[in-house]
Amino acid sequence: MSAAAAGAAPFAVRAAGARRRGHRLRVWALVVLAIGANIPVLVVLVNSLKSTEEFLITNSILPLHWTLSNYHILGTQTDFWSFVRTSVSVTALTTVISVTVAILAGYSLSRTVNAFTAGYARSVLILQMFPIMLELIPLFILFGYLRLINSWFSVVPLYVAGVLPYGIWMAKGFFDGMPREMEEAAWVDGCSHFGSFWRIALPLSGPGVAAISIFSFLLSWNEFLIASVFLRNPHAETIPVGVFVFVAEYQTNWGPLFAASTLALIPAFLFVLFAQRYMVQGALAGSVKQ
Amino acid sequence: MPRRGVLTQAPRRRPIDWLPYAFLAPSLLIFILIMGYPFIVGLSYSLRGGSLLDLGGFVGLDNYAQLLQDPDFQHSVVFTAIFTVGTVVGSYLIGLGLALLLNAELAGRGLYRGALLIPWIIPSIVSTQSFRWLMIQNGPVDVMLHALGLSSIPFFATPGWAAFTVTLVKVWRSYPFMMVSCLAALQTIDPNLTEAAAADGAGRIAWFKHIAWPHIATLSVVLWIMMAIFSIHDFETIWLLTQGGPGTATMNLMVLSYNYTFIGDNVGYGAAVAIISLLVLMALALLLLRSRREVVAAAPVEAAR
Repeated sequence: MSAAAAGAAPFAVRAAGARRRGHRLRVWALVVLAIGANIPVLVVLVNSLKSTEEFLITNSILPLHWTLSNYHILGTQTDFWSFVRTSVSVTALTTVISVTVAILAGYSLSRTVNAFTAGYARSVLILQMFPIMLELIPLFILFGYLRLINSWFSVVPLYVAGVLPYGIWMAKGFFDGMPREMEEAAWVDGCSHFGSFWRIALPLSGPGVAAISIFSFLLSWNEFLIASVFLRNPHAETIPVGVFVFVAEYQTNWGPLFAASTLALIPAFLFVLFAQRYMVQGALAGSVKQ
Repeated sequence: MPRRGVLTQAPRRRPIDWLPYAFLAPSLLIFILIMGYPFIVGLSYSLRGGSLLDLGGFVGLDNYAQLLQDPDFQHSVVFTAIFTVGTVVGSYLIGLGLALLLNAELAGRGLYRGALLIPWIIPSIVSTQSFRWLMIQNGPVDVMLHALGLSSIPFFATPGWAAFTVTLVKVWRSYPFMMVSCLAALQTIDPNLTEAAAADGAGRIAWFKHIAWPHIATLSVVLWIMMAIFSIHDFETIWLLTQGGPGTATMNLMVLSYNYTFIGDNVGYGAAVAIISLLVLMALALLLLRSRREVVAAAPVEAAR
């Protein structure tokens, strides 16, 4: 690693030729590593185009016969579209609620600084360590009494609780970076606190909303444990839980599993292609205090 | 509220501004319902016997006392520690290495960064099953090993190799978090420092030792603690790869708690394990709060909670 570690730094002692070689080496290393790291992903895409029989007879990485039959099986012999509907519902509701709640809380923690809000912000940070198993056991019993098991929305409060600690801190960091002078000017002009939030801070919070939304989307789209405990009926299962039925220790139904996996990957690809900026920004909300 | 008005007026009592507290209320409500209630109820379950459908009477600290002598629990603590250290070290070294590679003026850097981010943001069910297909008995990795004249490796069948496999996959799912965080920190190094070092004839190793490392050291500690928390928290990587097997070889505390509760139907035991893991996580969280004074670390797009 160290050979290419700081190639772009202007180390004057090195000859220009050596520097160019170092640069080319770095680019090649990145290309190889980026492809290598994604072999498990490429495997999913390619395998989704192999017939189920082919999995049993050959270990060839590439399909002998390219086929869409797995996707056909998904559409006709499984509840896959029901899984997709459930996943979309869960994800949409989680994202709307968690973005709203996180923006409100983050705004308060950023704009009102006193002992209470400071303590709240630190507590929120600690809450991100709360083990999911400890949420699951009592809530599984409670939701059983309330007959909420197998209702798709039963997982939403738990997902919101999972998003909020990070979401609130992302929102707080975002508002911390937004100058407060405009709001103060509005107060002087007689605007209420809520008015300044609604008319000034909120309309400027687009990138913060985007970052929290992506985080919330990915968490609820990918989550397996909570959904597998609460949603145990094919008509209420999300994609990760639904496709788990193809998995078995000795006779996994690889073809449909990889086809479903490929479709489940689409949001991740879209985010990397179109929203990477927000993703990295959001991921790093306040990462390094400056 | 001195900041409200610039003009000094006759002292007049302003009404308390309730808005910040009203804005915090929804989040507080969710935390109480989804964490506060389960904490109290879970604590009481851990003091009881019984099953999911029929909670038994109070047994005091019996569950905890039995757990401490239970070889499965003892093994689980040891495995959790190994898994945690392995994933922290592995993902940090790989993530930092990639961050150093990416920390340069490169055409298409966003593309490389994006491609390297993918393992972080895809569903656990997808990545684990892909690795399972690759590393399963007679699978592609096996075939490759044979082609190289090596014997096959039982990636899922022996306790040691199964522990290796789940650690490897967790490292693969986690290095992008380290990479993105380290890269962000490296990019805030003052370029003048780097130039001055170069002018003084410093090589890359000296640059890393004297400029880069001091700059990212505090953040690194925060990242190690955060990653330790994610690893202790991890259920999906292990469950979807080995279900904690072979036997109980790869059961960390989360998988063990799940097993006791939802498979063994022993809620008291399961809740007790969850409470113990909460204590461990809390200790790490307090450590994190102390080191966060200087650095507020990355809030990860944690597809891998």
